[in-house]
Amino acid sequence: MSETAISFVQVRAPLAGSTSCLHLDLRIAAGQFVALVGPSRSGKSLAIELAAGLLPPQSGKVMVLGQDWSALEEAGDGSMRLRVGTVLQQPGLLSNMTLFNNVLLPLRYHRGAMPDPQREQAAMAQLERLGLASLRDRFPAELNHGEIRRGAIARSLMLEPDVLLLDDPVAGLDADMVLVLKQYVDARRQQQPLTVVAALRSFSPFIEGADRLIVLQDGRVEADGSVESVGRTVPPALRRYAG
Amino acid sequence: MIEWVGRKTVAGYAYLAALATLFIQAVLDLISPARQGRRETLRVLIRQILFTGVDALPVTSVIALLLGIIIVTQAGTQLPKLGAGGLVGSIIVVTVIRELGPLITAFIVVGRSGTAIATELGNMSVTREVVALRLMGIPISQFVIMPRMVGMVLSMLCLTFYFDVVAVFGGYLVADAQLTIPFSAFVDSVTRALSTTDLLMTAIKGLGFGSAVAAVCCYHGLAVRSSYTEVPQQTTRAVINSFVLCLLVDVVVTVPLYL
Repeated sequence: MSETAISFVQVRAPLAGSTSCLHLDLRIAAGQFVALVGPSRSGKSLAIELAAGLLPPQSGKVMVLGQDWSALEEAGDGSMRLRVGTVLQQPGLLSNMTLFNNVLLPLRYHRGAMPDPQREQAAMAQLERLGLASLRDRFPAELNHGEIRRGAIARSLMLEPDVLLLDDPVAGLDADMVLVLKQYVDARRQQQPLTVVAALRSFSPFIEGADRLIVLQDGRVEADGSVESVGRTVPPALRRYAG
Repeated sequence: MIEWVGRKTVAGYAYLAALATLFIQAVLDLISPARQGRRETLRVLIRQILFTGVDALPVTSVIALLLGIIIVTQAGTQLPKLGAGGLVGSIIVVTVIRELGPLITAFIVVGRSGTAIATELGNMSVTREVVALRLMGIPISQFVIMPRMVGMVLSMLCLTFYFDVVAVFGGYLVADAQLTIPFSAFVDSVTRALSTTDLLMTAIKGLGFGSAVAAVCCYHGLAVRSSYTEVPQQTTRAVINSFVLCLLVDVVVTVPLYL
């Protein structure tokens, strides 16, 4: 049995703007690429925020890389954050820094001993791979949504995390950029073991190669399996979300 | 009515406790032996000192100079009528160095930097930059709050003394031009009226006002939740509460010492 990267153990959490709750009881194996799809307010973003330790569940527990977020938060231990890269719907690039400095920030903060040229080279390499090199000196206000999102994804991978959580990673990206992003994430997964959980509003080429597809509706898992099997078993009303 | 007063009192204490927690956390972060992110934090601190301290020098100079001129003009024309013309130096010390210097400096800092901090942090909260920092394992208290607080406290302290010096100089300009008091006599009059306690009080007020303004403005900036419309509301509260808290600190420091 493969190692577990993320487990939602009988998790229940209230969905914002709704009377229903998200119910999750699943485990995600290390190294898997898992896609969460479903209509708006189905609980995808909430699942990402729970996995990122931003919210505590109402009941149950969320374990990431064998650690319980709530216990870590109580102990004030922030080291787990370095092993989990997260990009939310609002990616939160720092508005007073250029794109390059945003991508560089995690290394500057957490890898103080690393020589400056090495850090800068690493940041530049990420920007180049995501087609953002020419925009390095622009501030977030001068970038479009897709560029901001790609910049945030590059930033989240700077510390080489074991887990990458993406909420709506393809929002604002054109078809070519979706493929660029897919190739980028695939390349990172080949370089190092990386568990990816991506929440999307609908099926996208970005998740074509996903190991697992989970379809959510009203906070409940409606289908869970390989991309092909979910396409066959998902309820007809949700079929368009599963490709 | 009693219930309303009770509720407001409890809320007031809770507010002061929240400010104290924010301040204590910043102090702990400052003295923490953790080396993580020291260079980055120092970068933010230097930027804050440049903005709050150095960039405020021109406006502080103008206001201090004008205040010194006004006070000595009033004192120089009124005191001789009472046969107390030699008290010009004392008036400068009592009004500017003890009271108006620290207070007006605090008001300048609130208007320039306090509002900037509250607005910046409010916008960072709305655009989820604060959450993004947390997700990167960068503690908000260490990277955002502590450098702003330390920067503001140091800047306030230095600006307060700078304000006093410029205001006294402004007073001398009037004394020299209109009242024909020689420079040496003016300086002598000021230094005779000035005690070590006055300088200590100025320093304590500078530190106290700086801490209060920084804590209030950071608190209100981070109190913004999800809408840009909250930013000006919280900024306004930060300004008003900063003024009130500065006056409160002033009373707490001044009354026991001079009463």
